[in-house]
Amino acid sequence: MKKRPTVGEVLQAKGVSRRGFLKYCATTASILALPPSMIPRIAAAIESARRPSVIWLSFQECTGCTESLTRSASPTVEGLIFDAISLDYHHTLQAASGDQAEAARHAAMEENHGSYLVLVDGSIPLGNPGYSTIAGISNLDMLKETVEGAAAVVAIGSCAAFGGIPGADPNPTGAVAVDELVTDKPVINVPGCPPIPMVMTAVLTQFLTFGQLPELDKHGRPLAFYGQTIHDRCYRRPFYEQGKFAETFDDEGAKAGWCLYKLGCKGPITYNACATAKWNSGTSFPIEGGHPCLGCSEPAFWDKGGFYNPLSTGKFDSGTKLAGAAAAGVAMGVVAAAAGRRRQDKFTREG
Amino acid sequence: MDLLEFARGPALQVAAYILVAGTIWRIVGILLLREKPDYSEPRARGGLGAALKVIYSRSFTATPFKPATLYPKMLAYVMHIGLFAVVLLFVPHIMFFEGFLGFSWPGLPNNAIYVLGVASVASAVALLVRRLTSPVLRLISNFDDYFSWFVSTLPLVTGLIIPLRIGFRYEDLLAIHILSVVLLMIWLPFGKLGHTFLVFITRGTTGMVFERRGART
Amino acid sequence: MTTVDGRHTLDREAERLAYKPPEIRHDKQGDMEDEARINAAMHHFVKNFNTQTASYLDGCLHCGMCADACHYHVRTDDPRYTPIWKIELFKRTYKRQVGPFAFFYRLLGLKRHVTIDDLEEWQHLLYDSCTVCGRCSLVCPMGIDIAGLVSMARHGMFKAGLIPHELHEVAKKSAETGSPLGITPEKFEDRVEWMADEHDVEIPMDVEQADVLAVMSSIEIQKYPQSIAATAKILNAAGETWTFRTDGFEATNFGMLSGNPDWQKVATMKLIDAAIKIGAKMIVLPECGHAYMALRWQGANMYGKPLPFKVMHISEYMADALEKGKIRVKHVPKSVTYHDPCQVSRRGGATKAARVVLDHLGVDFREMQFGGDYNWCCGGGGGVVTITRADGLRRRVFKLKMDQVEKTEADELLSSCANCRQSFDDSQEYFNWDYKMGSLMEMVAENLEEDGS
Repeated sequence: MKKRPTVGEVLQAKGVSRRGFLKYCATTASILALPPSMIPRIAAAIESARRPSVIWLSFQECTGCTESLTRSASPTVEGLIFDAISLDYHHTLQAASGDQAEAARHAAMEENHGSYLVLVDGSIPLGNPGYSTIAGISNLDMLKETVEGAAAVVAIGSCAAFGGIPGADPNPTGAVAVDELVTDKPVINVPGCPPIPMVMTAVLTQFLTFGQLPELDKHGRPLAFYGQTIHDRCYRRPFYEQGKFAETFDDEGAKAGWCLYKLGCKGPITYNACATAKWNSGTSFPIEGGHPCLGCSEPAFWDKGGFYNPLSTGKFDSGTKLAGAAAAGVAMGVVAAAAGRRRQDKFTREG
Repeated sequence: MDLLEFARGPALQVAAYILVAGTIWRIVGILLLREKPDYSEPRARGGLGAALKVIYSRSFTATPFKPATLYPKMLAYVMHIGLFAVVLLFVPHIMFFEGFLGFSWPGLPNNAIYVLGVASVASAVALLVRRLTSPVLRLISNFDDYFSWFVSTLPLVTGLIIPLRIGFRYEDLLAIHILSVVLLMIWLPFGKLGHTFLVFITRGTTGMVFERRGART
Repeated sequence: MTTVDGRHTLDREAERLAYKPPEIRHDKQGDMEDEARINAAMHHFVKNFNTQTASYLDGCLHCGMCADACHYHVRTDDPRYTPIWKIELFKRTYKRQVGPFAFFYRLLGLKRHVTIDDLEEWQHLLYDSCTVCGRCSLVCPMGIDIAGLVSMARHGMFKAGLIPHELHEVAKKSAETGSPLGITPEKFEDRVEWMADEHDVEIPMDVEQADVLAVMSSIEIQKYPQSIAATAKILNAAGETWTFRTDGFEATNFGMLSGNPDWQKVATMKLIDAAIKIGAKMIVLPECGHAYMALRWQGANMYGKPLPFKVMHISEYMADALEKGKIRVKHVPKSVTYHDPCQVSRRGGATKAARVVLDHLGVDFREMQFGGDYNWCCGGGGGVVTITRADGLRRRVFKLKMDQVEKTEADELLSSCANCRQSFDDSQEYFNWDYKMGSLMEMVAENLEEDGS
């Protein structure tokens, strides 16, 4: 069996400078909440790690997650890290197609049985198996077959992690998340629509450098990235505390960069690293662009009412049912008063 | 459905039905009892004006009673004012009301709300201590008094710890907060918290009866 | 220098007004079974649950502030004297039997049925320790008229035969003879004649037609007969066509005080019938507090329709007559303070009348601190003055009144209620107090300008 090159070797071959590499290691350390003293260890680990085999399965998805990772303005360390892994199967990126592609998947599975990683984007339909197939194999069958020999599964994006848009009400395909089907392997959810590139690679980095799985929250998300809300780390948070809110998208408050809570920002209940890791090579995140957070890294974010409905809005039915309750109250009152009068009569007869 | 969705959706909905139905039930149940006519020659007009006058005037303590009731009255004022401010002037709450009322009003900065909320809780605690230590209050208090204290203070406490997090997640704290409000809404019409609406009836009645006599109200 | 022989130890520390709680006595009238007593109490409790009382009984917050307004609690710190606690059984019965959630209270057993022990225990709270003065009704932040509820709760107690013996005896005598002190029409006539002679004043008696029917309280007839003469002088000076009637002279109403609406109605109807018989346009009530409540505010309701005549307390009558110039008075160069009878002022609404009269008398009027409508009660109202077993407690709470009066440093203490006067006299004697209660009406009568109108 040919010896795989180390990640360090791959990066060097791609022309990543030592300075750029260490910068990436420092960022990874900080995002993983490791002390600076760990940076050399991360660097050493990355440099010496063997390229792990990764199989990327795409089910009911939009390729946005792959786009997020690969469509950077200029080559990034994140992208290169991605190159550093042995991506043995990814039908958007791989050159092979048809039987050859499937053969590559089977080869990788056999060769690295028990040690490869499976990355999944997209949800799996449990309805008609024909809703989504690859090479004639239903998504469900392919997932089961591939996961069988995997070390761990990473669900990339909200569709794979929580069902996402395919799973949104009324869920016509019966779409489910990966962790509803894979119960005997560790599943790491990296939700987001799409997830932040840095977050995706950092999870992979942690796995391939330390060989360990990150600590997860109750939704199976790595706590290092999903431990705080957007609201907690939002630069507009002081305006929230001061009660300064943009009322519309074009009022003075919006121009002054006030809090977008009233415009439906889901920041307070959304756990993600957008406010710190940011997007587009650390340029900004949606709130900086003047748009409220949609809460895309949260389960069922598509079904939580309007994006522009403020969080604190209750969900009430129309007033007719309340009127019904009022009528019921009147009826109970009449009955109670009549019963009270009857009771009075009973005692005044007896006494 | 997660806890927050449950709290914001069905729980709140059902609580609103119970609040409305229970309130009307209690008012109608009282007002439809037999009425006792008063044939005595009135000294002054009673009526609605007198009712409104006393509904307002009993909000303040008559001077002779001020020394003895100063402490509980001050606590009650702080507790009620804080509660009203927090409920009605906290921006997310205003937006909650706007959600079904269709209009809104200006709120207070959150920091001001926190101060008012803490003051309100502190007063409530002091009132509870008073209830537990005063021989009079211990004698006349029953389950309703303690439970009503609990359900009316709980939303304040659960609301105030949301910004503190203390190891919980925002959406869970928010859900707990809303559920504590749900509990309050469900209990309000049936226990002594019914004074939120009964106060208008009792004060109004006394206003009409005693103003009619020309007596002090 | 005197020497102390040492045979008796000197005790300078003992509290002068040391108070021993009265021996608990559960008086019972009649020989009803306990079950029957409970039923009777229930009957007369529930009878009183109308929209007004229901809102009151449903509205209590248990804030306990009424305790701070009650002279019994203030002077003893006994929590049982908290006014709202005095009507606990009444309140409990309402919640269990008639309130909007009564069904659930019964179903879940949240409010116990009243027991005979409860009723016996509450006898002391509803009678010995409440003068129905209504001070608690003014402090209540919910505006609950607690005193009114006490009066109603007494109906159940009376019908269950569970009231203090002394009050029952007085009420019974009142029902049987028409006067709580057993004053018969003949005796009243005697007293009137005696006073007419003594004071050389013309006193019309049993006139067939008159505009004004004057009535008296037995306390006055018996203890303060000069009131009869004073009333006559004032009404004569005002030029009224008036009369006393032997068939309707008793203004007190112990049926009301003891809690028997039947006897209350009998006593009230006597006055109403007499007034209608002579075609009176007005009944002038004597210096008596509860008589005012009984006839002015409850009379028409006993009658079942509006009264065909006016009802005035003598202080109101005097104020009116002075304002209209029907009578005139000399100035009295004295400082005076005035004790407001609870049922006339606080609960009756005639507070101003006495001030108008005092103004005409030109006295140096010294209002007590928190006087008028917030006055401390004399401690003898609501029939309490008749309950001798409660004397210790009554005198103990009287301390508040003494302090209030003494602070004014007025020369004279006046009131317009013979019942108050009686409790003042009793305590004055007991404490050897400097202030002797006088009568507003007598002061007016003594200082009438002779030339009249």
